[in-house]
Amino acid sequence: MAITRINIGPVHPSTHGVLQLVVDLDGDTIERVDPHIGYLHRGVEKLTETRMYMQNPPYMEKLDYLAPMSYDEAYVSAVEKALGIEVKERAMYIRVILLELQRIASHLFFIGTVGNDLGQMFTLFMWAYMDRDKVLDLLQEATGSRMFYVNMRLGGMLSDLPPDFEERTLETLDYMEKRIKEYESFIEKNPVFHERMKNIGILSPEKALDLGVTGPVLRASGVQYDVRKNSPYYVYDKLHFEIKILTKGDNFARYKLRLLEMRESIRLIKEAFKSMPAGDALGMPVKLRSPPTKNRIACVSREAPKGEVMMYLVADDQKPYRLSIRSPNFINLMAIMHMAKGLRTADLFATLGTLDLVMGCVDK
Amino acid sequence: MKIKREELLQKIGEMKASGYSYLVKITAVDYVDHLTALYFIRDIDKNKEETLEIDLVPTDLWLPTIIKEHTSADWYEREMSEMFDIKIKGRKAGRLLLERWDGTQGPLRKGFAWGEDYKSM
Repeated sequence: MAITRINIGPVHPSTHGVLQLVVDLDGDTIERVDPHIGYLHRGVEKLTETRMYMQNPPYMEKLDYLAPMSYDEAYVSAVEKALGIEVKERAMYIRVILLELQRIASHLFFIGTVGNDLGQMFTLFMWAYMDRDKVLDLLQEATGSRMFYVNMRLGGMLSDLPPDFEERTLETLDYMEKRIKEYESFIEKNPVFHERMKNIGILSPEKALDLGVTGPVLRASGVQYDVRKNSPYYVYDKLHFEIKILTKGDNFARYKLRLLEMRESIRLIKEAFKSMPAGDALGMPVKLRSPPTKNRIACVSREAPKGEVMMYLVADDQKPYRLSIRSPNFINLMAIMHMAKGLRTADLFATLGTLDLVMGCVDK
Repeated sequence: MKIKREELLQKIGEMKASGYSYLVKITAVDYVDHLTALYFIRDIDKNKEETLEIDLVPTDLWLPTIIKEHTSADWYEREMSEMFDIKIKGRKAGRLLLERWDGTQGPLRKGFAWGEDYKSM
């Protein structure tokens, strides 16, 4: 049969951002997918070279606008390493709590949008959005902002947590545990969801490693790698949580793994509150001049909600000489070229949805 | 670990055989008098990571592709090639991945002229 080439995007609701897919079809079966990216490329790495260290966090947050704090934190940690600044113990706990709240918010967004990708228009999306709003309420209380936080400071935080933050967070987490059960019941008893997600878009562990994917996409293929366990940072080595893995590597496994991770995040936050010491958590105020550089090269890896973020910083006196960002979305998207072959057209969007991409992070 | 460009393919092959089978990232740094290409490679089972560093002189910027060993090198090599003008030999030249311009110099090179392309518009 003759191959038909169709173009999807760059502005298309199923591509989750400005992404163009050139798809070769044999009937309704995909032969080849060629993602065209770069529509949101704004040279973030280059921009950071022209700004002082602490002028850059707002740019980092725009990489993944669904989990901005994860990128801000990774960048500030790299700067702290370069300048030889220790993070205060209470601030470490606060960072863990806020980052895990951020993970829950990001995964909730995924749950909502994956329903839309399957054509289940907006019921699930509204549920997940409503719950994500509750998490954003907490982040707003802690940082003063709902979307972009810029609350990391060298050695600590912009501000300590508000007085009754713990009670309200625990209340929300209890609610969230119930809601996760409801999601499971609502989604997983739906036969259409099973048909569209199970045994579709399978990624074997060998292929997942060869393609360099990270985060939930890698763990849903049965590879046990999570930066929080493998190279622990802050207080993750003191807290008890499991790295959830699933072995099937299909769309359903990638969806399910994120639900399991949300439960682990809830567990982490509860334990972090119990163990958090009193004391000072404030970091250095933002001044134009930073302390002198102690290490020319600083490299940090972090487990962001969508996968591993790595910041490779070559430090100059007062600003980055070079900042290289490993974006998990960039390499996770590349995997679609290899996963899509043999899928039906409609399954392409379901599979793309389970990669949970943010194009601002792909294009940098 | 500093290596020479000529040793890259052999080194990558040896590392892969010994468990360093996960390519984390490829990137580069422009130090003006030379460029350094960086290959971050991980042994997931033993939880170890190695960084291969290759110094290149600005008048002879090329590297062999490692795509046969690591499929994930595909986009990283294309990104590095566009951003630093480092030619990748041994693979088909494709369209630009991240850029939509015909500039002659990679934007992440230190001598990149900001905004020059737009002045004539």
